[in-house]
Amino acid sequence: MEMELTINGHKRSLKFARGDSLLDLLRRYGYTGAKRGCDTGDCGYCTVIVDGEAVQSCVTPTKTVEGARVETIESLGTQDDLHPVQEAFVDNSALQCGFCIPGMIMNTTAALRENPDPSKVEARKAIEPVLCRCTGHKKPVEAVMDAAERLESSTGLSRGSEENIVEATDIGSKGATDE
Amino acid sequence: MSENPNKNSESITAQVESESGLPDIGTGDENPMEWNEPANNRKKPEDRESINRPVEKYDARKIVTGEAKYTGDFRRQFPDLAEAAVVRSDIAHGQVTNIDTSAAEEMEGVYAILTPDSDVVPDSVYTSAGQGYPEPTPWDLRVLREKVRMVGDPIAAVAATDSQTADRAARKIDVEYEELDPILDYRVAMDPESPQIHDSDEIENKQPGANYENNRQSSFEGEIGDVTEATDSSEHVLETEWETPYQSHCVPEPHTTIARRDEDNRYHLITSTQVPYHTRRQLSHLFDIPIRDIRVEKPRIGAGFGSKQAMVIEPITLALSIAADRPVIYETTRKEQFYAIRSRHPMQIRMKTAVSDEGALEAMEMDVLSNTGAYGPHGMTVAGNVGTKPLPLYPNVDNVRFAGDIVHTNLPIAAAQRGYGAPQGHFAVESHMDEVARDLGMDPIEFRQQNHVREGDLDEIAAILGDDEKHARRIRSCGLDECIQRGREAVGYDDVDQPDDPNQNRGIGVALVGQGSGVAGAELGAAHIKMNEDGTFILQVGGVDTGTGTDTMVSQIASEVLGCAPGDIVVHSSDTDISPFDYGAYASSTTYITGQSVKKAAENAKERVLTWAAGMLETSPDRLSVGGGDVTDEQSGDHVSLEEIGYESMYGEDEREHIMGEASHSTDESPPPFGAQFVDVTVNDQTGEFDINQLVFAADLGVAINPPLAEGQIEGGQSMSLELATGAGYEFTDTGVPKTISYKQYGMPRSTDHPPMETILVETHEPTGPFGAKSIAELPTNGVPPALSNAIRDAVGIRISTLPITAEKISAALNQLD
Ligand code: FES
Ligand code: FES
Repeated sequence: MEMELTINGHKRSLKFARGDSLLDLLRRYGYTGAKRGCDTGDCGYCTVIVDGEAVQSCVTPTKTVEGARVETIESLGTQDDLHPVQEAFVDNSALQCGFCIPGMIMNTTAALRENPDPSKVEARKAIEPVLCRCTGHKKPVEAVMDAAERLESSTGLSRGSEENIVEATDIGSKGATDE
Repeated sequence: MSENPNKNSESITAQVESESGLPDIGTGDENPMEWNEPANNRKKPEDRESINRPVEKYDARKIVTGEAKYTGDFRRQFPDLAEAAVVRSDIAHGQVTNIDTSAAEEMEGVYAILTPDSDVVPDSVYTSAGQGYPEPTPWDLRVLREKVRMVGDPIAAVAATDSQTADRAARKIDVEYEELDPILDYRVAMDPESPQIHDSDEIENKQPGANYENNRQSSFEGEIGDVTEATDSSEHVLETEWETPYQSHCVPEPHTTIARRDEDNRYHLITSTQVPYHTRRQLSHLFDIPIRDIRVEKPRIGAGFGSKQAMVIEPITLALSIAADRPVIYETTRKEQFYAIRSRHPMQIRMKTAVSDEGALEAMEMDVLSNTGAYGPHGMTVAGNVGTKPLPLYPNVDNVRFAGDIVHTNLPIAAAQRGYGAPQGHFAVESHMDEVARDLGMDPIEFRQQNHVREGDLDEIAAILGDDEKHARRIRSCGLDECIQRGREAVGYDDVDQPDDPNQNRGIGVALVGQGSGVAGAELGAAHIKMNEDGTFILQVGGVDTGTGTDTMVSQIASEVLGCAPGDIVVHSSDTDISPFDYGAYASSTTYITGQSVKKAAENAKERVLTWAAGMLETSPDRLSVGGGDVTDEQSGDHVSLEEIGYESMYGEDEREHIMGEASHSTDESPPPFGAQFVDVTVNDQTGEFDINQLVFAADLGVAINPPLAEGQIEGGQSMSLELATGAGYEFTDTGVPKTISYKQYGMPRSTDHPPMETILVETHEPTGPFGAKSIAELPTNGVPPALSNAIRDAVGIRISTLPITAEKISAALNQLD
């Protein structure tokens, strides 16, 4: 089976099998930033943004994303030019093994578009879907707060606009090649 | 995290006694306070260029961009890769009588099916424990099993074209059993009427005290002085009992392995492991393949916490790839993680102490019964740490006895988990000490201050299970007094406001904690560093970065020595074909052991750098110093850059040399880091419900090489400790079938479940550690259960002695008070 969808700003036509989750599909096509920690929707490591909303891709049936706009961690910055949310996680030492971090960053990105000025409680809530075993969630909460400030003051990427993020994806589609 | 508590396998009872028969508390001559510390090891804060700085984590950028590659991310590199699935026992105890693979064999896309009889499946026993050789653990495992001893024992395995086909084929394999009665309660495992789980004849490398007729994997006992006499003659004897449950590692990346034969006809494994070198050796022995023909490569790993201080799935994956004659990946599921991989040992611990009227501890006795589950990896060594980590908080007690039994049940395998027995031990010791203080009418902190370890003490308790004085420890750094003082201020110990609601009661509890820095006398780390033309370096270490920041730490140590920026050090770890040998990431050893080998290797390279610089500047090496990427003649002020030295040494006219350094490090020392855990709690005395208002942890880790990364260790460690204190543990049916098989059922703490945490780093200087450093990774997993139990005692006057601590238990205890 085959279907069309937009991944990180690129229209793509992808083959999929019955029973494939969105996570299966993304990883097979090289978007391996999203990680598999449980396959049951509990850990949040596989979080991507579908039509503006953070979803656990492991429990998202592939069929349901036909025609949708999917954003993965690969759509954000590069190692030489990090996105403000990525920068905030780096500068706050809010990462250890890193396995949960793509999920953390995608949840944070989606949450800050909705609510660019979160309270500490809201920042905690933003990363609630992600079960980080390494950090005790303290530094990640600080990173969410810091990311909000960075987005606010950054000029290039104004904080709320999804359009801007989608445009930014054109730089971030490396690593994603056809099977 | 491994430790051999009983080096001398003949002596089960290792008493520290002199020939006269009198207790010999030791002179400590072998362990003097003085330490021959190189002058450059002690750097004043203002002289530190790279160490003790918040250097960006080495792998941070590839992690946040999603480019960091974990084992599962290598799939696309092997186009003919097959996926694996494993058929596991669904009964707790029994004998497999038939395995019908015919339906699976007929399926399209199935490349290999293995059963215990398959040729490629080794017939010998082994241990999964990633420890030194020979492992202080019995060889009691088989790759695939006909006798099953727990739900989850692997019986058959499949490799197929994709994971859906592999899963379907595995489900079509039909297994018949003859069921046996299981043991589901470890407290009755040694009863004569309990069924026998292991046949002694089938086990090799048995450990001291093994008695498989009684389901005892091993036992130990050690004594200093005479505890019976001391307790008999004391007025204040207190005896208590404590219990701790199973805990899952919840390791973020499920165990994943790729195995293949490469073009050189060698076996290449990419695997999520904390112990690449131990795994290589163990695979070689198990499969009878020469070590030279095995390569174990560790990419990024999604943490370990001890679950990967083990060779769990590598043998099945390798056997499948040999049978299928193609690369195979086996990625375990979260469900397998909960019931079939590894967990923390449940334990029952009895404590007894004698104390003088004035509050001086005179005797301590500890007995531990540990449930190692169906198999015994790390069984004895974990139980040994239950005593040898917390009891040395009080090293000046003259009479100490510590004994343990490690028993089998038909429940999940317990093994190494961050803390390695110390969390269970601290729950018993530090909750018990609180009761002792209260019995005497003393403030719990004051009582501890009167008895706790201090710099200069000779700690023999750490070696109580050993057979010589070698591993008695001279405590050369101890910041406990400052930890207590600063933690006490931060939590507001001396000024507790009670809530207005009379049913709400606030209390504060404290627990002291200690750990080690590597396994004393049983570690080896090695490093190799080579210079590039441009004055940068490539550093190879076998030490494994499990996410803690090892790669960052070693780059800081090397750059501090060589006077370059940390970013000028490229770090390679770890690949057994390339990296120097290392025991791996366990026992909080990497900073102390691997870090010290890096420091020595960098110093070797520096010597060559200075020799070349002296030639170029026409001066002598002893006038030179490094810093800021230059080598400078301190008298003349002349300098030459590392880059100029790099080019000159490689392309010079007359002489040429590749500047390199290499070193190994092993030691009998294992200095403990120390800490004070505080918990501030509010308890409702009607319902038993409680809220943790704050966690405060003050840690003495020597000199922190990277302070924010050290804080991260403390925060994450406390989170695991909080879960041990309040989490639900595992549930089983009455036939031993695990009911806790998902995150949802287990309930790992989320960001919204966390109380605020405050982290305090207390600097001391450990002369035996690289630039004064000790360990940190395991220390903070020890404190929350006792500190919370103590806080609740403080708030509402009742004692919870079994984990988890729940509102129901508190309310039941309150009802008994009334
Ligand atoms: S892998 Fe999707 S939520 Fe865990
Ligand atoms: S950084 Fe390891 S799970 Fe979050």
